[in-house]
Amino acid sequence: MAKKIKNKEELKKLAKDFWYGKPHGERHLGELYIEKTGLYKHREWRGVSDTMYYFYNVWLYNYAMMVYDLIRYGGLGVFLKGVWRYRWVGQTYLTVMHWFDRGMEGMRGEVLRAAPWHYRGMVSETIRQFQHMFAADANLHGGKHNDAWHHTMAHNETVWGGIFYPWRDKFENVAMEMIPYFVTCHVNSHTVQNYIDAVQSIGLPGDPCPMCQAEAGLFVLDDMPDYSPFVITSNEACDASVSTSILQDWFLDKPLFAMPQPMQFDDPLVHKHCMNEIEECWKFIEEQTGVPFNWEMLKKHLEQQNELQEFEHEKWEVSAKTNSYPINGVAQALYRIYYSQDGDHEIWHHCDKKVRKVLERCVRNKTNTFPNTRHRVIAWSCAPLFFSNWPTWAYNCWGLNVIINMDSLMFDMTIRTDSYEHALEDMATYHMWAPMRRMAVGGMHHIFELWENMEKFNCDFVMMYDQLQCKGMQGVHGLFEDEFRDRNIHAIWMPHALPDSRTVTRAEIRRIVNDYMTTVMHEEPLDPSLLDFDDSMGW
Amino acid sequence: MKDLKHLIYFEDLLQEANNKLVQQAKSEGKYAIGYTCFFMPEVLLDLPGCFSVRLRAPRCTSPDIATYYMSARVCHYGRSLFERALEGGYNFLDAQMATETCTVTCRFQEHLQRMDVIKNPNFFCEFIDVPFKKTENSYVHYREQLRFHVLGKLHEKLGVDVSDEALMAAIEQQNEVSRLINEIGDYRKLDNPTITGYEFAVIQLVSLTCPKYLILPYLRETAEELKTREPDAKPDFRCKVVLAGSENDDPDFTKLIESCGARVVCDRYCYGAVESRQIIHVAEGQDPLDAIARHYLDASNCPRFMPQDVMRGRKKELARLVKEYKADGLIVASNKFCEYWSYERVIDTIVMKRDFDIPVCSIEKEYINAASGQLRTRFQAFVESVEIKKIQEGK
Repeated sequence: MAKKIKNKEELKKLAKDFWYGKPHGERHLGELYIEKTGLYKHREWRGVSDTMYYFYNVWLYNYAMMVYDLIRYGGLGVFLKGVWRYRWVGQTYLTVMHWFDRGMEGMRGEVLRAAPWHYRGMVSETIRQFQHMFAADANLHGGKHNDAWHHTMAHNETVWGGIFYPWRDKFENVAMEMIPYFVTCHVNSHTVQNYIDAVQSIGLPGDPCPMCQAEAGLFVLDDMPDYSPFVITSNEACDASVSTSILQDWFLDKPLFAMPQPMQFDDPLVHKHCMNEIEECWKFIEEQTGVPFNWEMLKKHLEQQNELQEFEHEKWEVSAKTNSYPINGVAQALYRIYYSQDGDHEIWHHCDKKVRKVLERCVRNKTNTFPNTRHRVIAWSCAPLFFSNWPTWAYNCWGLNVIINMDSLMFDMTIRTDSYEHALEDMATYHMWAPMRRMAVGGMHHIFELWENMEKFNCDFVMMYDQLQCKGMQGVHGLFEDEFRDRNIHAIWMPHALPDSRTVTRAEIRRIVNDYMTTVMHEEPLDPSLLDFDDSMGW
Repeated sequence: MKDLKHLIYFEDLLQEANNKLVQQAKSEGKYAIGYTCFFMPEVLLDLPGCFSVRLRAPRCTSPDIATYYMSARVCHYGRSLFERALEGGYNFLDAQMATETCTVTCRFQEHLQRMDVIKNPNFFCEFIDVPFKKTENSYVHYREQLRFHVLGKLHEKLGVDVSDEALMAAIEQQNEVSRLINEIGDYRKLDNPTITGYEFAVIQLVSLTCPKYLILPYLRETAEELKTREPDAKPDFRCKVVLAGSENDDPDFTKLIESCGARVVCDRYCYGAVESRQIIHVAEGQDPLDAIARHYLDASNCPRFMPQDVMRGRKKELARLVKEYKADGLIVASNKFCEYWSYERVIDTIVMKRDFDIPVCSIEKEYINAASGQLRTRFQAFVESVEIKKIQEGK
């Protein structure tokens, strides 16, 4: 029943809330959800300007662009075939805009104008890749190997796209697991469970890394398009990933080149070895494709990628030194790891251009983009993929503002292009700094870069991801505990099983954060309606 | 069969890492160099003036402090080693030569580097990077890693002689151990073997954990003794098996299998002899270190090798071992939380049966096997299934 307006003051307040949106403490965002589903009863009212902006410029615009991207990257026919054949497509494509909503919940003003561009970039690049997979897919073409199949290179998701730049004018490269596994579990937390169960059904124990399990399960269920004549694998870089590549090989049965990242890499001798591996990979590609290595093409795309890195540095400068950074934690983390692994593509430049305008405006106007920040948070280690929007929740509920995260910082380098030797040397470093390689497994030096980054980004709080099945990070658990105590740092351990939302649920994660904030920090929530709610069936 | 003369002595040596022979070598002024993985060539740690000790943590069932540091969700072997180190069980070590060939043993060794665990002021821990392939680039890389991180550090920090002559002497000593172990192990190929899998596991383990020059006389004597050892008139086993899998330094696990009626005739697992006791060949004019590097990469069938031909080749090699040792089946055992072998075990279970028609028993076990009742049931069932298969085939 609608509440009666008692006096003029209340009417004024109502009008103000309608026009500007309710202030942070009065939003009660948790009351918007339909029990268990995580779906909204109605859209969030953010004030006239922000609601209109979000509806037209984000929601409607991105829906339209998703259709446009499908059409320009292969057409609706190819897409529909893919939806019919592969379960991960339909389950996630239709839920994309809800993924936007989860990430942008409660955001206002400039954040709403910048962060969704990161999402837009990821969606577009995802559509481009899966449409290309389907266009080349022998499974969708009666087993025939068409021209697209012959002009596509398949690789593990942690083989950096830059390795394939020398053939960019003639060939596409598409990572095998990036879309079917990595992207899907962000968008729909249920999709990936099926693949984990599949690989366990053939005898794999439940304890290896669930990411690797899911990646192997895709092959067990024959849910991987056959889109390339050969494949480049890597160790990704952990024991379970090595083994996943091996299991995948038994299903793929194609010419394969293994290009693992060295496990000890702060060593000039290792660097030389890695450079040779990259060159051997290029020879393998030349042999398989019959097309020679093209230095000019490599140089061109490396330089373009450097532009992306340059802007990333500018962004970090703003986030580290001001309160005017208009990107929220989830957009920062996902966009950065996506493009730095995927490599140079036009869409990233397009999105960066849009974000730059907002960023410069924020700095110029000294806009406080996250005015309710209580703590500046650095998130460390591997994040829960099924709850990648937790920074949005944490800011809305507790004022925990995630400034930077480990994944963003891994590829912090510009690649020299003044000579082939310099480029190769830097590419080897980039390859060795692959996700997980630099910090989650191997040399402890990089794991403990946390402390210097805390200082650099002016953070006072650590969200320490506790991937329960990552042997590398579990193996240093106590050392982190000791360091947190010695340094008197507030840190919350966030347990999770990467893509598997069943092991530790989103609700349990929220409960752990809530407990720490109340019992250790003695703080009151900014929005108590977000403390506890059931979204167990939600995407 | 008549008991082996030195078996009880060997068993006694396996009760502690710092056993009597290790203590004797230390008292003679030798440096003790610890390692955990095959990819750290023991031959380099047995250069004149030092000796290798492949680390074990016998009887460690409750690694409490190590679990605080490494959590309960990593391999029990890695945690047990760390617990033993924290207890002071490895204080005799002068150095640890480390590899990151699996995540958890790497973490264990990194803890040795970072924390003041080993109570020896001169102790140091040095890592090498081990390639995932057997290509020329990998051989060269591995060799240079050994040269810089192993020979370089042994010479620099302990003054060990790392000349070619010293390397050749170490190779000769290692080859003698290998020849003796192979001679002893070959009796397992007999229709009615004159050595049990358990006895062989004990002998192989002492050769890995004791100073070579001190254990050699015992090995020579045991090899001599076996020449005339008579088998039991009626075999006490119902089938023969190859035991493959992850880290296993527990002879009681082999004993458990054998108590269920399966004679373990071949040991293709970490700490087994199939790979570690192959003869190192140095060609005329070849750099001995180069020969060692090539030998250790070529001899290994570790599941961390990623090239297609190698990963498929190791299935063929396993099938060859089953044939060579006249085994009736294969037991693949992986330690809980060992990711390499969890996957490899799945692949072996499918491929060895499908492509080579070899019966496979797939087991997940702990480092120290307290739950022997459950395992016993599994092994007994496997032995019965192999017997039924043999009956059906008219054997």
